[in-house]
Amino acid sequence: MSAKEKDGSMEYLSLQGIRKSFSGVEAVRRFDLEIRKGSLVSFLGPSGCGKTTTLRIIAGFEQPDLHGGSVFLDGQDITLAPPNRRDIGMVFQSYALFPNMTVKANVAFGLQMHRLSRAQVEERVDSVLELVRLRDTANRYPHQLSGGQQQRIALARAIAIRPRVLLLDEPLSALDAEVRVALRGEIRRIQSELAMTTVYVTHDQEEALSISDLVVVMNRGSIEQVGTPEEIYHHPRTRFVAGFIGTANQFDGEMAEPTEVACGALRLRTPPVGAARGARAVVLVRPESMTVHAGAPQEHPDLNAIEGVVETITFHGAVTRLGIDVNGKRVYADIIRGAKSGFTLSQRLWISFSRDACQVMVLEQSA
Amino acid sequence: MKRVAWWRGIVIGLFLLYMLIPLAATVLFSFATRWDRSIFPEGLTLQWWHAAMGRRAFLMTLQNSLVISLAAMVCSVVLVTPTAYWAHLRARKARPLIELFTNLPFGVPGVVLALALIRCYARFGGSIVYSPGMLVAACMVISLPFMYRPVVNALNAADVRTLTEAAHSLGAGWLATITRVIAPAIRSGVLSGALLVFSTVFVEFTLANLLVGARFKTFPIYLVEFTRFDGRQASALAVISFLLAWATSLAVLLAMGKSDQEREGALGAR
Repeated sequence: MSAKEKDGSMEYLSLQGIRKSFSGVEAVRRFDLEIRKGSLVSFLGPSGCGKTTTLRIIAGFEQPDLHGGSVFLDGQDITLAPPNRRDIGMVFQSYALFPNMTVKANVAFGLQMHRLSRAQVEERVDSVLELVRLRDTANRYPHQLSGGQQQRIALARAIAIRPRVLLLDEPLSALDAEVRVALRGEIRRIQSELAMTTVYVTHDQEEALSISDLVVVMNRGSIEQVGTPEEIYHHPRTRFVAGFIGTANQFDGEMAEPTEVACGALRLRTPPVGAARGARAVVLVRPESMTVHAGAPQEHPDLNAIEGVVETITFHGAVTRLGIDVNGKRVYADIIRGAKSGFTLSQRLWISFSRDACQVMVLEQSA
Repeated sequence: MKRVAWWRGIVIGLFLLYMLIPLAATVLFSFATRWDRSIFPEGLTLQWWHAAMGRRAFLMTLQNSLVISLAAMVCSVVLVTPTAYWAHLRARKARPLIELFTNLPFGVPGVVLALALIRCYARFGGSIVYSPGMLVAACMVISLPFMYRPVVNALNAADVRTLTEAAHSLGAGWLATITRVIAPAIRSGVLSGALLVFSTVFVEFTLANLLVGARFKTFPIYLVEFTRFDGRQASALAVISFLLAWATSLAVLLAMGKSDQEREGALGAR
């Protein structure tokens, strides 16, 4: 579903049939996306999935292939417009602050290029530095700032020109974990305050899920799924999305009944699925949806219960993750920290999960 | 640890002696009344300096060398810097070829280059082949690696591709990007290259002798002429040549240091 369909609003940035190859290798394949004005959309995917290439096409640093689609911004075709005429701001992974200029001069640079008066430049520089809470660094040089501060200045510089679209290319990748979490909150706050249409590229799913209105999951140059963070997490549409976003137990099988999937010796109760008997299907269950029992749980028509043996126990802070062998297949289940002491390696136990915790993906209908 | 420091002192001391003894000897020889019958000069005099600098040809050749060196330096900066920048940005596949061309002067002796130029451009007449302009062009060729390498190193260090894209995304055209962002970012590399070109061209003898000779006599030609009849006056000229190269280096270093001080000053003023 596109953003337009989802929100019922006019698209602002529109990518239509974008294709891009490098030396015969397709980096982006038929990429169609419509982005609503004022929203924050993340391109999420592994390295080499084409997310940065797509971003660079929006920025104008790369051109789509010949007859390789178009980019529209506010109804205007900008496919061939040079980057400096697009009115699109960009924040780079490596900050790209001008080393010979002070913070103030860096932020003022774009405003001067847009021919604002001296008074307007002064006022705008002050206001954006205030927005990123770094007004006291105005006369410093980039090398005198920390990585987090540099990236905030890069953000201030990009938003100072009030671009029609703001692009962020893995802006937090070079920062340490603590700063990353703080800064992504800052980015979301500033984006919301300014209601600036923003495209955010990242390979960090937690980052994408925590700040986005819409997440575009990409793989091998194509879109796998577009949806809100909740949809992407709870209702992955493809095996790739299920595997890439969080951890999901995947049970391969075939439809036995409209509410039951036969996975070898297991028969899993699922929500109703509109697929024919015998159709190949995968049942996805998140580890946090599972409950672990020392003995067999009480039988219930909406509950799945499986017996297994503990193979691994790993501590993750808020939860402890058990790796459980179920008929030769590794299944992961999360338990709250306090319950850790109740289980040991090689212990036989039961895991249960409700029918509603199962997400069924029908791979192909039976003939 | 002390033992390491001791050896380090010895090595540095030997290196300095190796570098300074010939220089000191040349300086001393230019002031010596006579220095061929004893370990030390028999006396000191300014006579050779007066004689060497008193001739009209001295100022003329010095001026000619400065003109050729400055012209080669400016032309190299103007030609090599944008080429290296463009190759870095847009023609990455051409970079190995450019590297190859820039390294060619190391394998082609000056005399071969001069004779090749004479043969190649002979059809256009002597006024072109044996002109100062041709000497500048030839000097640019031999000093190409000295200009290209520091500029490329500066381009690599500054990540100019991202800086260029950042400037474009802020609305800057090519002129503003190059003059306000890229040039300052690679300034130290360009200055180092320019200095090396100036120094290399200023002392270039072979090309100058074969291409312009007496028609546009340069300082090295003048100096070599002196070695044939008076080593002490030649030494005085060699010291002048060294002082000029040293002063040029100092001027560039001061200019670079001044910019750094301006940065610090701006920081202090906040």
